[in-house]
Amino acid sequence: MSDALLSVRNLTIDYIGAETDFRAVDDVSFDVAPGEVFGLAGESGCGKSTIAFAVSRLHGPPALIRKGSEIRLAGRDVLGLDKRALADFRWREVAMVFQSAMNSLNPVLRIEEQFYDVLRTHTGCTRKEARDRTAEMLTLVDIRPERMRDYPHQFSGGMRQRIVIAICMALDPKLVVMDEPTTALDVVVQREILQRIDELRRQRGFSVLFITHDLGLMVQFCDRIGVMLSGRMVEQGPSEAIFRTPRHDYTKRLWASFPSLKGGVLG
Amino acid sequence: MLFLLRRILFYLAAFIAAATINFFLPRLMPGDPVALMFSSAGSELPPESLEALKLTFGFVDGPLWEQYLTYLSSIFTGDLGVSVKYFPLPVTDLLGRALLWTVGLVGTATLISFALGSFLGMVAAWRRGSRLDVVVSVSAIFATSIPAVVTSLVALFVFGFTLGWFPTGYAHDPALDPSFSLAFFASVAHHAILPLVTLCFVLTGGFTVTMRNNMINLLGQDYVVMARAKGLSDRRVMVWYAARNALLPTVSSLAIALGTVLGGSLVTEVVFNYPGLGNTLYQAILARDYPVIQGQLLVMTAAMLVSNFLVDVSYVLLDPRLKGSG
Amino acid sequence: MGQLLIGLRRNRKALVGLAIVLLIVLVAVAAPLLTEYNPAGRTGRPHQPPSAEHILGTTRLGQDVWARLIYGAQTSLAVGFAAGLLITVVGTTLGIIAGYRGGKTDEVISFLTNMVLVVPNLPLLLVIASFVGQAGPMVIALILGLTSWAWGARVTRAETLSVKQRDFVKAAEMMGEPQWRIMAFEIFPNVFSIVGINFIGSVIFAVITEATLEFLGLGDPNVISWGTMLYNAQKASALSVGAWWDILAPCLALALLGIGLSLLNFAVDEIANPRLRTGGRLARWSSLIRSGEGRL
Repeated sequence: MSDALLSVRNLTIDYIGAETDFRAVDDVSFDVAPGEVFGLAGESGCGKSTIAFAVSRLHGPPALIRKGSEIRLAGRDVLGLDKRALADFRWREVAMVFQSAMNSLNPVLRIEEQFYDVLRTHTGCTRKEARDRTAEMLTLVDIRPERMRDYPHQFSGGMRQRIVIAICMALDPKLVVMDEPTTALDVVVQREILQRIDELRRQRGFSVLFITHDLGLMVQFCDRIGVMLSGRMVEQGPSEAIFRTPRHDYTKRLWASFPSLKGGVLG
Repeated sequence: MLFLLRRILFYLAAFIAAATINFFLPRLMPGDPVALMFSSAGSELPPESLEALKLTFGFVDGPLWEQYLTYLSSIFTGDLGVSVKYFPLPVTDLLGRALLWTVGLVGTATLISFALGSFLGMVAAWRRGSRLDVVVSVSAIFATSIPAVVTSLVALFVFGFTLGWFPTGYAHDPALDPSFSLAFFASVAHHAILPLVTLCFVLTGGFTVTMRNNMINLLGQDYVVMARAKGLSDRRVMVWYAARNALLPTVSSLAIALGTVLGGSLVTEVVFNYPGLGNTLYQAILARDYPVIQGQLLVMTAAMLVSNFLVDVSYVLLDPRLKGSG
Repeated sequence: MGQLLIGLRRNRKALVGLAIVLLIVLVAVAAPLLTEYNPAGRTGRPHQPPSAEHILGTTRLGQDVWARLIYGAQTSLAVGFAAGLLITVVGTTLGIIAGYRGGKTDEVISFLTNMVLVVPNLPLLLVIASFVGQAGPMVIALILGLTSWAWGARVTRAETLSVKQRDFVKAAEMMGEPQWRIMAFEIFPNVFSIVGINFIGSVIFAVITEATLEFLGLGDPNVISWGTMLYNAQKASALSVGAWWDILAPCLALALLGIGLSLLNFAVDEIANPRLRTGGRLARWSSLIRSGEGRL
């Protein structure tokens, strides 16, 4: 697929130990098309989050992206970016929503400040312009703009995650990586947030790399799914196909462990 | 502000606890407590002064609780008795004079070493595993594990006696009278450098280790990773996301560290013959001047409680989560 | 507990620290073999600089500094370990009881702990010691043990709170085990690394504080220990008369013991808290990056 937005080729990531290495991601390749939602499924520890981190080059030691790996975003070689280019690339091209809704915002900075630092770094805008943009973004996720003066602890978990999504939208990125964005939230809030993301995606046209262990959510939300098992991608294809006619044994077992799905959500 | 109010009540209780120890100690010792407490005065103490002292310390005819209340009321009216050695100088005057020097020395040393230690801990944690981290952490361990008395004596020997760079005693040149003159302040500063640097050496390592550990525990937090994903500069992430949050537990450890700070300053003052509380206390111990020894526990405790309260206030200012909820 | 021992064997800081401490213990135990002098007796002329006869010189009273140093090590180590043990026993017991029992018990113990923490330790010790008179080493150890447990109680309580939520504790409760058994056999082994850190930290504290109290003239000046060596040297104005050996010998001994114990403590902390560990994996990681095998 040459028109892919994100193209991952032969991605191999090790966690270096004192004597032996742990291979977290083993020769994984996949593509995400513009405007598409691509899901990574698999149990915890299978390497999904490691891939998510690699897309924004967020890993620190002892993680090591092996040579031969390739990540391209809109044709740009992500692994080849130097420090400055990388700082510029982050958030402008790829924004990210993290696992724990309660913990993604800096507890000691006002919401406004956490918008401002991203806007100033990337667009060099003034505080006034940043405030306008912040108000616009907060409205997008149904939070009253005047609350930008508040601190994170003054919001509920669902609201905090909506604020994070608003910060993601601030620079109109091409790709939003969502690493288990709703695990810490209750089911009603979960649904509400995913619907909101879906609407925003239709309006603004970004792609989503969606990571969860919740298969029900995944089938509903994603256009295509890749199934991971201990660092390897064992199967990928359209959600419908992965769900109805899984080829790999592991995928079949995954579905079997979620009996409520059969005929429920999709059927 | 309920939080701060509760702290004040707690500190009051702690102060009374220190006073209670003072009250019971001489009474727990074998023998006559009055004779024990004022024995070092011999027969020099005029009888009416001895009576006044006995009243101050609660040695009145009556049940124990009455004695206790008598003692507490003299403390809360600011009467700590008179020094037996420097009779008839009141203990409050003696300690008050010394307190000024100690607060100057300890306050400056604490601020410098807290700032320096937090900075070093932050940088070491941010670049953990690097050569810088190894050097900083190992020196911090060494510095904290050497007793203040050893550091002080070695510093005095090397920089005072051998190299002769700094004076080996007193807070200012004894030939100069205290005044608002440049010469006097220069002399004070010159005399303060060696004790100050020694104290900073003793204290900085502890703050460095605390800050490094707090910071390392925070680096994996989602908001720190998200700050990096936002493409912010390293410095912005390190200072405003990681260090700013790691500072909160570091500040609360400052409250506990203050005890060590006071202990360290006692010893440093004795070694450098610096006229603060430590040295006054040392003279009192040698003379078994119990009113002064007991008085210094109260003054030190009060100083500790006031500093703890200042730490509480700064904690409230630093943590928005405490500000609103109260 | 076993893991802790294996970790210690692999940790370089732990090995160096252990070697230093063991060396000092060995010298203290073998003191009679390492000197022919009586540490208390006059064995030479006053304030002799180091020489072949007196390798660390003599004191103002003509006592041999090396003999006093190695016999003094016995006292300093004995007080340090005895007080450290006492502090740890009191702190651990109170911490586990407060953390496990919770409720009113916890409130009382925690209130007490916080109170002891805000009363400055050294001034308090000075008052107590001054009333006791010239305190012998074991009296000092006892006073230290009874006044310095608060920090240990606090950290042990915090650790107990997290351990008691774990399944094996719940299981033991379901099976109706008595509380003291749960605290002794389920909780205690699982807070052991905290107890270890507390113990080593307390030994350091006790060694330093004993020396300080004696230096300030609150010990028994006839006891031979590093603290009384400092006291006597200071009283003899050793530094101003140029007899640096008299004061530097106990200083360096105290510093060495402190550093050895601290290295051990730091190592235990690293093993108990893996996030603080840096170790050999980073060296391997850096070399892989350098050789172009991969990147971040």
